[in-house]
Amino acid sequence: MPWLVLFVVPALIIVVAVQFYPLAYSAFLSVQDWVLTESQRPKGFVGLENFTKELADDTFRRSVRNSVYITGGALALQMTLGICLAYLTMGASWRMRAIRTLLILPMVIAPVAAGTLWRILLNSRAGLVNHLLSQIGIKGPEWLASPDWAIVSVIMLDTWQWTPFVLLVVGAAIASIPEDLLEVAAIDGASRWHTFLYVELPLLMPLLLLTLVFRMLESLLSLDSIYSLTFGGPGYSTYTLTYYIYTLGLRSFNFGAAAASSWLFMIFASLSIGLVFWYQRRDW
Amino acid sequence: MKKAILFLLILTLLLPAGALAQDMPHAGVEIVTNFMQSGTYDIGAEQLEAGFEEATGIELEIVASPFVVLVQNNITDLATGTGEFDVISGDFWIGSVWGQMHPLDDFIERDMWGGSFIEGLTKQGPSAYFDGNRIGIPYSADAYGLIYRTDIFEEAGISADWETWDDFIAVLGELEMHLEGTDIAPNVFAFGASEQAAAIFLGMYDSYLVDADGNYALEHDEAIASLNQLKSLLDYNPEGATGLSIDEANSVFLTGKAATMICWVSFVRAAAQDPDSSLIVDNWATATFPGPGFPFLSAWNLFISGYSENPEAAWEWIKYYITEDEAKRRFVELGVGSPFLSTYEDPELIETYSHDFPAMVENLNRAETVPWIFAAFEVFFRHMSEFIIGAATAEETLEATLTDWAELEVPEGLVQSAMAQGQMQEG
Amino acid sequence: MKRQRSTKQRTLAFAHGFILFIACLVVLVPLAYLVINSVKLPREFLTVPPTILPSEVTLEHYRDLFEDSKTFRHFRNSLTVTLWTTGVTIISGTLAAYGLARMRLSARILAGVTFIFLFIRFYPRVTTVIPYFLVMRELDLLDTVWAIIIGQLGITIPFVTWLMLVVFQDLPREIEEAAIVDGASVLQRFRRVVLPIVMPSVSAAAILTAFLSWNEFLIASSVARRKASVLSIAVAGFVSDKGIQWGPMAAMSVVMIVPMIVFALFAQKYLIRGITFGAVKG
Repeated sequence: MPWLVLFVVPALIIVVAVQFYPLAYSAFLSVQDWVLTESQRPKGFVGLENFTKELADDTFRRSVRNSVYITGGALALQMTLGICLAYLTMGASWRMRAIRTLLILPMVIAPVAAGTLWRILLNSRAGLVNHLLSQIGIKGPEWLASPDWAIVSVIMLDTWQWTPFVLLVVGAAIASIPEDLLEVAAIDGASRWHTFLYVELPLLMPLLLLTLVFRMLESLLSLDSIYSLTFGGPGYSTYTLTYYIYTLGLRSFNFGAAAASSWLFMIFASLSIGLVFWYQRRDW
Repeated sequence: MKKAILFLLILTLLLPAGALAQDMPHAGVEIVTNFMQSGTYDIGAEQLEAGFEEATGIELEIVASPFVVLVQNNITDLATGTGEFDVISGDFWIGSVWGQMHPLDDFIERDMWGGSFIEGLTKQGPSAYFDGNRIGIPYSADAYGLIYRTDIFEEAGISADWETWDDFIAVLGELEMHLEGTDIAPNVFAFGASEQAAAIFLGMYDSYLVDADGNYALEHDEAIASLNQLKSLLDYNPEGATGLSIDEANSVFLTGKAATMICWVSFVRAAAQDPDSSLIVDNWATATFPGPGFPFLSAWNLFISGYSENPEAAWEWIKYYITEDEAKRRFVELGVGSPFLSTYEDPELIETYSHDFPAMVENLNRAETVPWIFAAFEVFFRHMSEFIIGAATAEETLEATLTDWAELEVPEGLVQSAMAQGQMQEG
Repeated sequence: MKRQRSTKQRTLAFAHGFILFIACLVVLVPLAYLVINSVKLPREFLTVPPTILPSEVTLEHYRDLFEDSKTFRHFRNSLTVTLWTTGVTIISGTLAAYGLARMRLSARILAGVTFIFLFIRFYPRVTTVIPYFLVMRELDLLDTVWAIIIGQLGITIPFVTWLMLVVFQDLPREIEEAAIVDGASVLQRFRRVVLPIVMPSVSAAAILTAFLSWNEFLIASSVARRKASVLSIAVAGFVSDKGIQWGPMAAMSVVMIVPMIVFALFAQKYLIRGITFGAVKG
């Protein structure tokens, strides 16, 4: 027992030391009126005013809406594609191994670099994507200049970069499903589709949910890639909640409002994590 | 006589030691200076580093950061009193921390320091002041400009002669008729780089930016008129102009597909004369930026941090970095716009840049900065971008901007700068 | 017994191959374009139509990069940060997870601890960047790789602890009981019995940590100035007010990506075996 406690101590110390103070401080800031460009110190306690102001703020609401569109679209795509590709690349042949390795590559690219790369690919006049589209007779859209297509562009980037993660996790999970279970199903005469639906899917469900929540929060938090792809624009079209918080905090230095928005985000994040816990508890 | 020779001998022997003590009063001191990581200002500084250290004995550390990181670092450093940087690169974007800068008047007076700065640039606004004290000295200067194709204008019998945007838009109309049937657009502008359009707005808008109470504001009718006029430029731009980035707009002009372009001239100056990247070599010139507003100015200043422990050594670096010779060299080698008139009157350069300099100096002389902190600029350019892509009307744009601006406070230094530049509502 | 493959099966096999081919193209084309951009002459960017095959391959962007002493420093810093972050995270995170899993805590407490760790992994860093900056200033750690490492540890340790906690919870205690009978200490038990079994998961956690650390931008850019600057900051540095320096940026991206790709190729088998979050139960 003492050993076990000792095992936990280093991690605990680091996490508390690194996270506790900044988090507590941001909680403190969320109820303070403090804009660094106006005053060097917090101007005073304002209760929940920062929160109510944010909830009523047009830009905040719009950012939340954009986040929902972008993350929703990206998740739907990458979960579907990830699961499909995981099944399509099953197996231990060298060819499948090679393809799997290839397919996970986008994941290792720095989001800043990936965003900029896609910016040049999606350039409406000089971009590769529209050029290739025109080769097959399609006139490509103004990817980054039209509000709707800009959202699609961000979804595409997130999907390109993070479908590999889903592929990886789901692939590993499929590989770890005991063979005999599937064999039993096959002997019972179940079709491949039925086996998937009634044997594999229930087994995979907790993991899929976990992956979904994990990817959802990661996607909501992504900043570097939006920053380098669309800069939040055109206008406020791809202004996501994280981008909004970033602008408030590090560009406008409105620490009170930024902290309040962050805590609103954190409440949402907690609920999402709680959902996974609740689901797994019921399951186990 | 012998005595005199002996005296002279001793004097010459002593001189180096004396000179050392006198010229290097700051030997061994360490100072940190920052620049934007741009491959221009920062490289210009790195080229001087060794020479400066040798001449002064001061140990210089140059920090180059991307633009947003630089602004963020400067504001956090000064607002929290960290004092990591002795010499700071900035302009009105860091206006909220101007109060924490070291006044430079005493240094300037004591050393009788100066130079042939373009007159407009020495005024408050282009040069940073706080409470009447000079705190910043410009080392670069670029005004928003307008360049045009001399060959097309000549062919069409149009002269590049305008005072206001109305005049200019009339010219665009004439060009449109002349260019009908070609794939050349009368004008091109990087409407896709949404933060850029504010520069045109400022050129059209002829009223206050800060109201009599010291809050961010715009005069309603003027603002609406300017927004609509700004959008009317789209009629003369190539298809899909709302998506053009700076690089793309430049390439439209350089490949000969536009008769005029509104841009930072320094971004295209070199490329336009390089046959490798330009089809319009020798066929373009810089024109006067139309009024009644002002050409938006980018003039990086060097400041000394109020938290610097070695302001004297920091001042040595400023004097070393901002000189007429260096400004000329940086202009020629790195394309950095010079704040000194001498650069634009340099006989060698005039020959090469006769198509460019006269209008450039005129624009620089008229150029102004804005009293906007980043938050103010951010909401303005984003709402304006919604307007340009057709997602909001001019009224909605103005209203949304003013609503967001009501939450912001204009820092003291920027109120002063607005007042000095006549951007304040009279009341 | 060999059967003739039916038309349907052949169509399916073809569709299978075709989909994978398209997927590979979608991954590869952008990466290939990045590499092409890194050897393109400046004038061949933003041409209409885009220059796919450059008229001339230039190594000027790479030469400029490698001639700049800062590139080496950035690279070294990135490597230092990644190695330390990954090392410390894996050791402390795995140990903590094992401790928590074997402490016989009540389910509720365990759930609470897990929740806090996950929460800490997923909140917007932007809020705590300024307080963190101030703390680092007080500790005189600004502009050191340690400031970046410590900041990243705050993200990675909770994550790895959580990841490994799930793994350890799934590990049947019987496996260890034999060792307990033998009189092995907790430490020996951990090292000789438990660790070899969970090694694939530890490797997977290490790889994910390394990716995150190598690519992390926000914390690094807020506490690093010059000496401690890393590759991710350097890449972002090519986006200036003058537009983007595409060539140098592409070259720098390639320099930054290649080590991770090589690493991913070597580590791939661990990744595939290791991250199931322990969530599949047979």
